[in-house]
Amino acid sequence: MKAARFDYRRPATVAEAVAALVEDGAAKPVAGGQSLGPMLNLRLARPSTLVDVAKIPGLRRVEERADGVLYGAAITHAEFEDGVVPDPTPGFLARIAHGIAYRAVRNRGTVGGSLVHADPAADWPTTLTALGARVALAGPSGTRELALEDFLLGAFSTALEDGEIVTGVFVPRCSAGARFGYRKSCRKVGEFAEAMCAVLADDVRGVHRLVIGATEGRHIVVTEAKGVLADPRLLDERLASAGLAADPSTLRLHRKVISQAIEALNSESLPA
Amino acid sequence: MIPITLEVNGRPIEARVEPRQHLADFLREEMLLTATHLGCEHGVCGACTVLIDGAPARSCIAFPAMLDGARITTVEGLADDAVAGELREAFMDEHGLQCGFCTPGMLVMARDIVLRRPQADDDVIRHELAGNLCRCTGYVGIIRAIRKVAAGREAAVVTRGTVLTPPSYASPLSLPLSPAGRTPVDPPASAIALPAELSPDATPDDEPLHNPVELGESFEVPAPRATVWALFQSPEQVIACLPGARLTAPSDGRSLAAEMVVKLGPMQAAFGGTGRIVADPASWSGVIDGRGVDSRSATQLRARLAYRLDEAGEAPREATRVTVEVAYVMQGPLAQMSRGAIARDLAARLTQSFAANLAAHLKGEAPVAANASLDAGALAWSVVKGWLARLFGRG
Repeated sequence: MKAARFDYRRPATVAEAVAALVEDGAAKPVAGGQSLGPMLNLRLARPSTLVDVAKIPGLRRVEERADGVLYGAAITHAEFEDGVVPDPTPGFLARIAHGIAYRAVRNRGTVGGSLVHADPAADWPTTLTALGARVALAGPSGTRELALEDFLLGAFSTALEDGEIVTGVFVPRCSAGARFGYRKSCRKVGEFAEAMCAVLADDVRGVHRLVIGATEGRHIVVTEAKGVLADPRLLDERLASAGLAADPSTLRLHRKVISQAIEALNSESLPA
Repeated sequence: MIPITLEVNGRPIEARVEPRQHLADFLREEMLLTATHLGCEHGVCGACTVLIDGAPARSCIAFPAMLDGARITTVEGLADDAVAGELREAFMDEHGLQCGFCTPGMLVMARDIVLRRPQADDDVIRHELAGNLCRCTGYVGIIRAIRKVAAGREAAVVTRGTVLTPPSYASPLSLPLSPAGRTPVDPPASAIALPAELSPDATPDDEPLHNPVELGESFEVPAPRATVWALFQSPEQVIACLPGARLTAPSDGRSLAAEMVVKLGPMQAAFGGTGRIVADPASWSGVIDGRGVDSRSATQLRARLAYRLDEAGEAPREATRVTVEVAYVMQGPLAQMSRGAIARDLAARLTQSFAANLAAHLKGEAPVAANASLDAGALAWSVVKGWLARLFGRG
């Protein structure tokens, strides 16, 4: 199908983008358009105006700091995959990016767009939450920063206020010996996952985090995960209260993916 | 409408686009580059994959309005690409296509895979190719073809941002036409005073032609420059040298109203319109701007003929070298032909006939080709023949 009619604006700065969104409440920001594009074509989304933020210099910036890296929201998945941006983890980001959809999508889709779209079955929301990332926001009342688990409120739902956009995402630096386990179950390579789990074990920093995605709603985030890493059955109650235990096969799939992600900590993520 | 500039298969394009028009529709309907196929039209099947700035992307969920300044390469633009050539061979050898609908997207993606992932094995290829669906389920042959080409490659290449060499041969399907809608249908009023019989809504304007088809011809006529110049200042005589053309009203020497009939095979068009003549005696050059409409097909034609006269031959300089440059833009149903090699050749032959008629006229002879329209006789056949010869001449 063809998208319904919409207007198009390409502001030069974050301030202009925010102003354009404040001016027109039915406007939507767009960057790579790899999630919004299909929704436009299917006419699931009918914004009055698209505000193109993909080329705003501030959203294409990468800033390496001692404690991590701040990525502009418009950095593409392919740029992570190809390692053209610095990685504060021992190679986790490139590995995650490689598994997102298809290369043709990764070439245009952006990390900020994925977080704003907030599909619980998408790769970045689950994995970056596990890595303890924070999003940088800019809106009519200034800028602010939120931990990703506070930003992602549920399926396709975020803490973005009217006129606010994600300008970047900050990923904290891991120790060299940090380990990361990530598993997702898809019917076909590149499809959205039916179950997914990401685990970070950074003993040096004392950080152990486990995040379950592909939930019907908000991610299941365990910030002090040492206990559940030793005994994943402790998660059963969280799975049940998230409504994932109603169907036995769904529960079994989630359990399996969780245990595989935890096992992957040992098998895959030991630094060379 | 959003003004954009793009490079499509190496050719700069200026266009005004509706924001809602996606890239695949723009390529297929405005550029008439129909090798890019639309399957699902929501980013799932991969049939519409093209290269944007060297990297594959889905053209059904990319919007030209957001691609200002981008370089687009369709499978037509890979005609002379060495890797794509190897893949075409391999697809043929390994039975890599059945109905062929997914093949353009498969080829664009396959090229990217073998460049980025040399030596890729079946698992890698299957993973990388997962975004391209073949409803004939002919994956085995496709994967074998890609593996064969990947096996012969050593170093990985980052494709993002690479600039491809445009094809050297502009096939009828790879010469983008100027997109419709870029020239205002109603031209602004001209500053030039017009004779009363010319309707103002057909006034030629000073707006430059966008992405025109351009032709040049240079020839010598056996007459002194002043004689040739005098002929060029007479619209009646110039028009008489143009096959199929006639004045529809007497000309005052600064503007003209004319009709020109062009026939090619089953197609016939009669372009009626007006022109403006501007001459610069100091430089022995001039320009004739014209704009016409074929009322039957509602096809619009804008054309510009620029000429320059230079003295030639031995003293006493009894010959004149005439340099003619023709540029034209066609919009509407018949525009499909204005981008193909056939139409281009037709225009080239028109220019050649014009030159021959001019020389004959100056010698006091009858026109070489009677001033009839170019119908499907010898001229059209020679156009088709020349075109076929070039097609097969490529080997």
